[in-house]
Amino acid sequence: MLRSLGLPSFDALFADIPKGVRVGRMGIGPGRTEPEVVADVDKILARNKPASRFSNFLGGRISSRYLPAVVDALISRSEFLTSYTPYQPEASQGMLQALFEFQSLWVELSGLDVANASLYDGATAAGEAMLLCRRIHPGDRFLVPASLPWEEKSVLGNYGVGLGLKVAEIPFDPVTGTLDGEWIDREVRRGDVFGVLADVPNGFGLVDERVLDLKSAIGTVPLVVSADPLALTVLQPPGEYGADIVVGEGQGFGMPPSFGGPLLGLMACRREHVRFLPGRLVGATQDVNGRRAYTLTLQTREQHIRRSRATSNICTNQSLVALAFVLYASSVGPTRLARLQAELAEKAHALATALHGLEGLKVPRFTAPFLGEFTMELAHGNAVGFLDRMLAKGVLAGHSLSDPLRAVKSGPELVHVAPSQAADTADIRKYVRAVRETLAPGPAGGP
Amino acid sequence: MTFRQARWDEPPLWELAPPKTATTNGPAIALPGVPDRWRRQTALRWPELSEPEIARHYTRLSQMNFGIETSAYPLGSCTMKYNPKVSEMLARRPGAADVHPYQPENTVQGSLELIYRLEKLLAKVTGLREVSLQPAAGAHGEYAALLMVRAYFQDQGKLGQRTEVLLPDTAHGTNPASAAMAGFTTREIPSKNGCVDLGRLKEAISERTACFMLTNPNTAGLFESDIMLIARTVHEAGAMLYYDGANLNAIMGVSSPGRMGFDVAHLNLHKTFATPHGGGGPGAGALGAGEELAPYLPVPRVAKDKRRYYLDYQRPKSIGKIKTGYGNFGLDLRAYVYILSHGEEGLAHVSRRAVLNSNYLADRLGKFLPRPFGKLVKHEFVLSGARLKEEGVRTLDLAKRLLDEGVHAPTVYFPSLVEESLMIEFPETESRRELDAFVEAFDRAIHDTPQHLREAPKNLSVGRVDEVRAARELQLSWKDLRTVPVPSAPAGRPATTPAPP
Repeated sequence: MLRSLGLPSFDALFADIPKGVRVGRMGIGPGRTEPEVVADVDKILARNKPASRFSNFLGGRISSRYLPAVVDALISRSEFLTSYTPYQPEASQGMLQALFEFQSLWVELSGLDVANASLYDGATAAGEAMLLCRRIHPGDRFLVPASLPWEEKSVLGNYGVGLGLKVAEIPFDPVTGTLDGEWIDREVRRGDVFGVLADVPNGFGLVDERVLDLKSAIGTVPLVVSADPLALTVLQPPGEYGADIVVGEGQGFGMPPSFGGPLLGLMACRREHVRFLPGRLVGATQDVNGRRAYTLTLQTREQHIRRSRATSNICTNQSLVALAFVLYASSVGPTRLARLQAELAEKAHALATALHGLEGLKVPRFTAPFLGEFTMELAHGNAVGFLDRMLAKGVLAGHSLSDPLRAVKSGPELVHVAPSQAADTADIRKYVRAVRETLAPGPAGGP
Repeated sequence: MTFRQARWDEPPLWELAPPKTATTNGPAIALPGVPDRWRRQTALRWPELSEPEIARHYTRLSQMNFGIETSAYPLGSCTMKYNPKVSEMLARRPGAADVHPYQPENTVQGSLELIYRLEKLLAKVTGLREVSLQPAAGAHGEYAALLMVRAYFQDQGKLGQRTEVLLPDTAHGTNPASAAMAGFTTREIPSKNGCVDLGRLKEAISERTACFMLTNPNTAGLFESDIMLIARTVHEAGAMLYYDGANLNAIMGVSSPGRMGFDVAHLNLHKTFATPHGGGGPGAGALGAGEELAPYLPVPRVAKDKRRYYLDYQRPKSIGKIKTGYGNFGLDLRAYVYILSHGEEGLAHVSRRAVLNSNYLADRLGKFLPRPFGKLVKHEFVLSGARLKEEGVRTLDLAKRLLDEGVHAPTVYFPSLVEESLMIEFPETESRRELDAFVEAFDRAIHDTPQHLREAPKNLSVGRVDEVRAARELQLSWKDLRTVPVPSAPAGRPATTPAPP
């Protein structure tokens, strides 16, 4: 090929790169054969202890669930896995239809009109929702629950900083854990609030009844609800209680936790706001012969057309994870999804009941209702130490709700607990026994 | 041999098994402690399907989709290379997939080590001091980088003054979009012969400039040979130089962003490092930073203390978090596998082969359509289809006609400084036979009759799609579909979508 170009060597291909910017060796080492690479990676991964080796009570927005084999088998089909963004609709009807089905499912779960074809994760979806609110309502303050996971607060701060938007925290009732409605009323009356976010379940795992009345309290100020898709199989769709935007984290539908990525950002809005929506959208239309066909649509919102005036900078999204989402929901089916949520709730309540009254713990920390996850308070000691001691007894007992970005720690530490799908009654008994041993007074388990 | 794509009359899921319209599936299931007000009153309208129905449905859909294993994807700036199977296998190991990000550190030493190692390897490839794997995609990395630039100037007390981001008119659309989201105004620098016009850059740059964003090689496929002068100009003005790594595939082992004087860079692991594109994502957008900006990288950083890896949040200057977790770990693992497999010499050879493919193809296709810029190109090149307009044929028609040959179309209408542009990139994983087959397909396509070109495609699952109608009618979910007839619905299936109650 070099010869056909009349070039003496590969070097001639880089004649336009000045000497001053040439590099010598990168220092990467020699290439390896496939068995060598597999051995290297397996050796590294052997230093992990997969969650399924423990009694697993880790949750938050990311879940360990059983994934039906059909999900991975179908997302592994190379026509989906290795395809590019479906900008050429005629060559991409398969992915486009799958994404249309995904959009339809989030519309159904959220109770809103229009869903996009995915964002990076639940936290960035909340960030994009905040920016959408600002496009449809004036103001410079966005209200979020103080109980929102610290990671999401940090991401929201970063999505607002460029436009000078401030994220303010709604206090919670110290007993019930629910939103302080009077505080919200007062702040909204100041007239500088352009949006309010509530999460379901919230960062403490609570299902807060105040969220159902929030829209009537804030009036024309847009309401964003960040909701868990599994919870939405049994709870009222946020669109029905006035949410203007519904976002969520979709990893639990079809993806393993994979140390936190890839995840899946879900986002839906009202039809009247569709032109302000970030991200790709698939629409149904017809081909030249009148056959139903699908295509990306309203691309004039997007960065490759609108550049600095786009609704978002997002280009690459999470298409394959969106496909996994719709595959998971379809293979489990709506009835068994609702039953799964009920089972997780039963386990969480069984564990909370068994832990209730144990010395050194306050369980549940808050009195508002919860589904499959709850928060407990450690009377003394730090959460990380407690969790390490629980781990030594074979229990992934939950995660600390402390914000590592806040230098000053105050008050007793909180631990978030969410039984995984695999956790059974034996695991629950083991959890309770481990807590008794861990928190027992004496040299072994003191603060 | 004529290419034919599968053409299934595959209805959407809910037409396979119309969902039950019972009033509820909620209250039938007991939920401890949850008030009735909270319960879903309307049943979730989603079909109950059997596994064989699902498998057949999605297999049929997959057959109506191009992928890198069905055809070459000469999309400029997208670097559609083959995705090795070994990476897929390893990413599915329980030690990789079955690990929760909130597990205690001593149970995730392997994940932390892999991130640590990949960050170090990418630091070597980029010539930059530190790399973070947190961004989910290239544009996400750009955004994080601009927030870092913002925070840097804030610390210098100059944020009020440095409000502007400059970029060339060939920049990817994500660049100005990210800059605007980060609160900067943007200003485009016109190109000269496909490269940055240094004189215009010098005129535009000032004490108001926060950052100049550049892709090198750029989207015209040209190496910006003035890069040292560009870097000096930017730095003398007190601004930062940003590297958009979408086109890194051309220069590994030859040059690097750090060596060229860039202060911060994002890399698309789903391009250069062969993680699959997944129909549009997920990707991974590694973010590298030089000395001045490294302290601002997102937290946590993966750090090492003797033999133990840990998550380090003690970075007071950090911008904080830009997503949940630590990045798209599943993709990071694949990129690590790719680098390990290739090694130093292998990566350098990737770039040599990619640039050779591009020059070979540019030379051959240059006989059909004019190439507006220089002879020597890097990993991609641009053609202009402007002369086809005389026959009433647009570049879009040529792209659709190429699809009929069983090959994906190039990127079209970008970069916009070339009229009717086609941007073509054939990465190193495409063989000479594949390139020659593409030339033959291009030859047949461009010499077809104008009418055939305008009527293309004919061999795909659908004909030319009416995008104008899609934007006008906005049918965006199954609820919107209810009034639209399903053409040629197979027997036994409903001819119209069941209307939701």
